[in-house]
Amino acid sequence: MRAWSTWAGRSGRSTAAGVALFLSLSLLAVAGTEGMRRIPAGVYRPLFRLPDEPREEAVPAFLLDEAPVTNGEFLEFVRANRRWRRSQVRRLFADPGYLGHWQGDLEPGSAEAAGRPVVQVSWFAAKAYAAWKGRRLPTTVEWERAAAVGLTREEGARDPDHLRTVLRWYSSPMPALLPAVRSGPPNLHGVHDLHGLVWEWTQDFNAALVTGDARGDTGIERQLFCGAGAQSAPDRSDFPAFMRSGLRSSLKAAYTLPHLGFRCAADAPSAPPPSASSPSKP
Amino acid sequence: MKRLILSLALLSSDVLLPATAAEPPASLAPCCRTAPTNAPPTEGSLYQLESLWTSDLGVRVPLATFGGRIQVLALFFSRCEYACPILGQDLKRVQEALPASIRDQVDFVLVSLDSERETPETLAAYRREQRLGTDHWALLTGSVDDVRELAALLGVNYRKDGRGQFAHSNLYTVLNGRGEILRQQIGLQQDPAPVVAAIRRALEPAGP
Repeated sequence: MRAWSTWAGRSGRSTAAGVALFLSLSLLAVAGTEGMRRIPAGVYRPLFRLPDEPREEAVPAFLLDEAPVTNGEFLEFVRANRRWRRSQVRRLFADPGYLGHWQGDLEPGSAEAAGRPVVQVSWFAAKAYAAWKGRRLPTTVEWERAAAVGLTREEGARDPDHLRTVLRWYSSPMPALLPAVRSGPPNLHGVHDLHGLVWEWTQDFNAALVTGDARGDTGIERQLFCGAGAQSAPDRSDFPAFMRSGLRSSLKAAYTLPHLGFRCAADAPSAPPPSASSPSKP
Repeated sequence: MKRLILSLALLSSDVLLPATAAEPPASLAPCCRTAPTNAPPTEGSLYQLESLWTSDLGVRVPLATFGGRIQVLALFFSRCEYACPILGQDLKRVQEALPASIRDQVDFVLVSLDSERETPETLAAYRREQRLGTDHWALLTGSVDDVRELAALLGVNYRKDGRGQFAHSNLYTVLNGRGEILRQQIGLQQDPAPVVAAIRRALEPAGP
């Protein structure tokens, strides 16, 4: 961003450069949302809430990647960003398992591997990838809002086919070889693989204040977490949501796991798309 | 950019230090010292972070500014109704428990979770209320993203509740001079002795 504005400032005097800048900005705007779907404004029902917190939380519209990021896509990122290559990454930002399923810094493996979701990436790496794409990670609330959508209706909880599919995945062992992204059916908003492929990082995975293990919610954990003792779960029926919450609360940002990947999100552009609006600067 | 800020800080402290009594204590405060720039950060150093933080004294600094000395760091927010005052007290107890011989070599950093409402002014008010001296205490606020990242590195979980309070892990972290995590203390009102012992051990080899 800094480099960009410096460049723009330098070339600002030339009209030709101004036009070029405008053109490339429009290109960026198009490329920026490729493969993303708009999730309309909706609500999220928190799993845990304080007695005086609302039962539902409004979630503004946002954009979400249609599918998790693949090995092939992640390869482009590490090509462009040396510091995120397997041999270069700092331990603070990724544990030793980082991209452990790759054969080398720039070798994700077979041709099929390119289409599979990238896993064994830390939260820091996922976050850096998203920033490189001009995107961000979805918040937990956004992710859960999108994941609650059914295949044919907005409320997945009232879509028996959706529920069956979801429960089947969460109750089955993970396959040794992951299928390619988009193998599963899209939900109502055209988003694939929110259930049935990999677990996914969220921007605020570390917002969870209970541990996955119920025994952890007593004793020392009450000492550790301010306010945790006051939390209560209003709806205990959405078991997979509790599993996700449990997983998130057990993660550290540098962890890399064999079935943990991510996808990107972005703020939804405001109502009319910025089609022909010209840059404000002369 | 960072260089610029650092060199500005350097410039101001160089210029201001010799100045006489009228000068605010800012030039001596931990936030305003110059970072040791010679050695590149180690693999595990938090000082690899490039984020910039605003202190109640109004300067914007990278965490690397705190390098070269022991730092005891906690996340808090000045409007906290539950545990933060206790966490602040815990840090003060660590400071009081330090042997006089090393007390001057240890600094304390409080970083706010409340990016949206915390300002240098609210931090300054907190400093006054809690009587935190400027010589060893730094109070910082940063962007939502940068706080999330720092918290992730420290293993601090937190979320904002419906009333604008933050539920958060109660822990504080001791960083060595290279910005590596030396020790973490989990839970409130714990005996500061083990932390003090860890700090002593860390300072011994460096010795006089």
